[in-house]
Amino acid sequence: MKKIIELKNITKAYDGQVVLDDISLNIYDNEFLTLLGPSGCGKTTTLRLIGGFESADKGDVIFMGENINDVPPYKRNVNTVFQRYALFPHLNVFENVAFPLREKKVPRDEIEQKVQEMLALVALTGFETRSVTSLSGGQQQRVAIARALISRPKVLLLDEPLAALDLKLRKDMQAELKKIQKATGITFVFVTHDQEEALSMSDTVVVMSEGRIQQIGTPVDIYNEPENAFVADFIGESNILDGVMLSDYKVAFSGHIFDCVDSGFGKREAVDVVVRPEDVDIVAEDKGMLKGVVTSVTFLGVHYEIIVDINGFKWMIQTTDFVDVDEHIGLYIEPDAIHIMKKSEYSGLYGDYSSFSNELDELSDAESESEE
Amino acid sequence: MKTASKVYTGIIMLFLFAPIIILLVFSFNEAKSLSVYSGFSLNWYKELFKDAETLNAVRNTLILAVSAALVSTVMGTAAAVGINKLRNKYLRMTMDTVTNIPMINPDIITGISLMLMFVFVGRLFGAATSLSFWTMLIAHITFCLPYVILQVLPKLQQMDKSLPEAAMDLGCTPLRAFFKVEVPEIMPGIVTGMIMAFTLSLDDFVISYFTSGNGFETLPIRIYNMTKKTVTPKMYALATIIFFVILALLILNNLVDDEAVAKSAKTKAAAKKEHSRFRKMAVGIIGGVLAVCFVLVLVFSGRGTMELNVYNWGEYISDGSDDTLDTVKAFEEWYEETYGQKVKVNYSTYASNEDMYAKLSSGAVSFDLVIPSDYMIARMLNEDMLLPLDFDNIPNYKYISEDFRGLYYDPEDTYTVPYTYGVIGIMYNANVVDEADATGWELLWNDKYAGDILQFNNSRDAFATAQYKLDLDINSTDHANWDRALEELKAQRPLVKSYVMDEIYNMMESGEAAIAAYYAGDYFTMLDAQAEDVDLRFYYPDHTNYFVDAMCIPSCCQNKELAEIFINYMLSPEPAIANAEYIYYSSPNSAVYEDEGYMEDLGEEAIAILYPEMESFRELYNKYAYRNLDNETLSYINTLWETLKIS
Amino acid sequence: MRNKNTSRGSLVQRLTLAPYSVWAAFFIIVPLIFVAYYAFTDSEFNFTFENITRFFTATSSVTENGIDREVHTYLVIFGRSLKLAVISTVICLLMGYPMAYIISRASARAQKIMITLIMIPMWMNFLIRTYAWMTILQDTGILNGILEAVGIRPVHIIGTEAAVVIGMVYDYFPYMILPIYSVMAKMDIRLIEAARDLGCNSVGVLRRVIWPLSLPGVISGINMVLIPSISTFYISQKLGNGMFYLIGDAIEGQYIANNLHFAAAIAFILMVILLVCMALLQRFASRKTAV
Repeated sequence: MKKIIELKNITKAYDGQVVLDDISLNIYDNEFLTLLGPSGCGKTTTLRLIGGFESADKGDVIFMGENINDVPPYKRNVNTVFQRYALFPHLNVFENVAFPLREKKVPRDEIEQKVQEMLALVALTGFETRSVTSLSGGQQQRVAIARALISRPKVLLLDEPLAALDLKLRKDMQAELKKIQKATGITFVFVTHDQEEALSMSDTVVVMSEGRIQQIGTPVDIYNEPENAFVADFIGESNILDGVMLSDYKVAFSGHIFDCVDSGFGKREAVDVVVRPEDVDIVAEDKGMLKGVVTSVTFLGVHYEIIVDINGFKWMIQTTDFVDVDEHIGLYIEPDAIHIMKKSEYSGLYGDYSSFSNELDELSDAESESEE
Repeated sequence: MKTASKVYTGIIMLFLFAPIIILLVFSFNEAKSLSVYSGFSLNWYKELFKDAETLNAVRNTLILAVSAALVSTVMGTAAAVGINKLRNKYLRMTMDTVTNIPMINPDIITGISLMLMFVFVGRLFGAATSLSFWTMLIAHITFCLPYVILQVLPKLQQMDKSLPEAAMDLGCTPLRAFFKVEVPEIMPGIVTGMIMAFTLSLDDFVISYFTSGNGFETLPIRIYNMTKKTVTPKMYALATIIFFVILALLILNNLVDDEAVAKSAKTKAAAKKEHSRFRKMAVGIIGGVLAVCFVLVLVFSGRGTMELNVYNWGEYISDGSDDTLDTVKAFEEWYEETYGQKVKVNYSTYASNEDMYAKLSSGAVSFDLVIPSDYMIARMLNEDMLLPLDFDNIPNYKYISEDFRGLYYDPEDTYTVPYTYGVIGIMYNANVVDEADATGWELLWNDKYAGDILQFNNSRDAFATAQYKLDLDINSTDHANWDRALEELKAQRPLVKSYVMDEIYNMMESGEAAIAAYYAGDYFTMLDAQAEDVDLRFYYPDHTNYFVDAMCIPSCCQNKELAEIFINYMLSPEPAIANAEYIYYSSPNSAVYEDEGYMEDLGEEAIAILYPEMESFRELYNKYAYRNLDNETLSYINTLWETLKIS
Repeated sequence: MRNKNTSRGSLVQRLTLAPYSVWAAFFIIVPLIFVAYYAFTDSEFNFTFENITRFFTATSSVTENGIDREVHTYLVIFGRSLKLAVISTVICLLMGYPMAYIISRASARAQKIMITLIMIPMWMNFLIRTYAWMTILQDTGILNGILEAVGIRPVHIIGTEAAVVIGMVYDYFPYMILPIYSVMAKMDIRLIEAARDLGCNSVGVLRRVIWPLSLPGVISGINMVLIPSISTFYISQKLGNGMFYLIGDAIEGQYIANNLHFAAAIAFILMVILLVCMALLQRFASRKTAV
């Protein structure tokens, strides 16, 4: 695969506050790459660096082998779909899409033809003369994509383009984006804080936190083999426990020794142990490897989400079996359901559900979003 | 509620448009009166279009307003963009405060502050003139800027910050992104700002008053300077025309908008094209106006032709109205015929001697010819502000009567050539005032006519009426003398209806007031326009003021010979008679008062008043004329005047 | 949005802001320094406080109801100017506020027409407009003609404070309406509906929602009317029959009498007083809107 963009040791600070801390990242031709992380992790800044709206304090941005640190946005063969689309309200749909071509003084009939092509691609044929302010969110989104794609950039940058859409529309657009990316063969760099979106669309996911890259990998790798507690917690739900590696394939946590599939740790090395909630089986109390008391049960449609107190540590478990609050149950965990991670600065910060509440989670999500 | 708001709106609109309706009606008045309507006539419109100086003032006003609006819009928009990008809290606060200063400073302070600076800087560089079109333009731009910025800034703040970024992302340079995306977004703010700037500049009087200079007179200044004479109904005609032009523009604008809306309902694309064509047209028009303005300004400031800067009282020269001679134009033509060279006369006006003196002594302006009154001439001579004349260039001086030579202010006849003279007399409405009461200065103090008496609204003339009444020396330097006069004026104040200058015309013509002292010639102007139930009469009290206004050349003169040729021209029979007829003041020029046609036109009554029998004008004049007073006394009089005014 | 200036950004910023900064420094700041300089010097440009003290201490004796009294000349003039300006401003506000509200609630087309109508008089020269008011208000004027025709006793207005106030209100009325209107036009109609929903009657809506939200417009309206009306010198001359000597007349009078330094001193004091007043007003407003 051909490297298209290379970020080398990028550091960036605003008013002394570091937002990007020595980031290095390769972006390859024809891939759908997602920058994923919570608000303020530096993902948008990374995107703006590639787009040319920011310049790094340290480090280089390499585009197809060339350093483009000082190349202004309008000379970069990179286009952006902005968060709130940034459609020009004084121009109609056709003129918005034609904008880059008009800038390049492309002949009239060629513009006409290309715009029609793009509008067909985003299924907006017939909307040419509509005012952009009269369009729905989804339609505006498509115009923004058509506009960004019309000059055939090497790379398309998308800054949380789906954040403003409702759930159903978002799902449709996810599929559509993927389709467009396949059809055009253009590299997409996609920024989102929605992990589900990232997993479902991307070839490569880059998880970021506090200005650093935590993990780069395919969606499956990221989910199954999180590199640290942060990634494990941010991607999906995880019970993260302190454990000790007794030997290869043997780990002790929660007062029990488990078989596992991981090796290569030092003897008696302290580790973080990840167990996904859906990987835990509920059995009768006496048959369980671990024993605990159910403290809450939430019905979520496909399954129940229950919180189990095991020696004071609250586990989240997703199960289709119904159990009642205050019931004493046993837990059974397969060896391949246990994932061992090296200790990191994030150890102990995540993975305990003792203060868990759906509502609180959403609240804090909303807050951090509005900060942006 | 609905009806209530309609009624309320109606009342407010009536309030707003009442004076405009008055303007409209009186612009069609036959008589030269702003209070007595005597029949329909288009005369004033005809007059207006013949009045080259007024049209010139209109042109100047437009040039100034357009230039000020354009410059302040461009600079203000750029500034708003810059301010909007400022992230430093203190810088931002400083810029905001500075921008607010011209808005929370009264005009008069902005005007004075700029004037002080221009004059100071002008002196520093030894410039002959520091006030000019350019200083006025600077002043106008300065007070327009905040309005533009305050209109554009909010639009920038509301704009989605990623719009310019999107444009750059799509291939625009930052500059192009600004023009293609940001400008259309903030256009409403820019346009509103520009209209506000244009309006403010068009209507400004106070700041222009302090910063205007040579030969560039705007309409408001011209109107203000008519205060010794009267604001002619020509101005009403002008206002009416302006009103209809604006109305037409607005209706046109509305129609275009409506059409665009109607069209967009059918085919948006067509409307879009229409719109962009309209916009292109608008840009074209604005560009055209801009170009024309700059050409005009260049022509105006061009030094190709000789220029003569004349500074005279408002309404104090025959200007071509009523089929009279347009003196300035006639001179320009005559000069070209005689000398084969073009000359341009820049004619400016002032409202009072003191006004003229303030401008001239600031060193900020340069004029080639001024026509002050006697006491002011004495003062200017005292301060070396006048140049001796070369009478070889003024052979027509021969027309000046022997009586008007050797007057006190210029005993050797070296600096001045008399233009007009006159006597202050008392006029009254015989339908109100008993003939028996109409003698002496006492009439102005007669409490029988309380509320019907007018008094001068300038200190020297007002104090003089009291001094003549009390038989005091009008040129005394003794404070006690002035204090007594003040007591007399204070005693008169409850009887006084109004302290007036030009307002006297309205008030006497309409019968609003019945008694006033004023300059003799002006009586006839009022007589011509008096209302049916008014019967104006005139008499001279025993002691009264004799005045002479004379042409002289100030020391800042740039072309002395040309000025002398102009003086000579003014003395020649045709213009001299035309001016005497126009101004209605007595002329010291024998070519005038010996002209049979002129005397016949005046009629006996007018001759008796304008050219009264007297043994020796010089003798009476030297006895009763105002003399120059020292600064200390002038300052004291000013203080007393303020006291009278706040009583 | 963290749109911190990059090196490119600050260049643009410097280019756009530079002309204005230079302009403002030379033609806004420096002239004010000149006013101060003249205010604190005598005609020989020697430093002096005399001009300032003269403003506060100069007295004249006036006769009121037959009794002679010593009054502070300029303080009396300033007080009178302030009084007339405040009255005019209050009347403008009382008249303009409902008008602005009516306009802001009209259809888009009607709004446009009404705003245009309100602005049209501003395009006619203000000296001429004032002159026209003389014709209307004088004792034998149009107004009394109409009153007489309908059988009402004629009124004496010209030359009274009322006439001066009418002139000021007329000339500066649009400056009160426009800012209030522009704030009201932007006001979210749902806020009013919400207030209704929450139990406010019309008065309550006005007092608790519309008024506080329109306060910024009101403040700038007050600013734009008070400032010019405190310093006018033409209106008082024409409509006041020369009976009301205001601070603007005093400055112009001193300028005409060639006392530039004292004229500057009056201007300087007026400027300081107004700056303080406006700062207080601003502070009051920001506290009000913050609550």
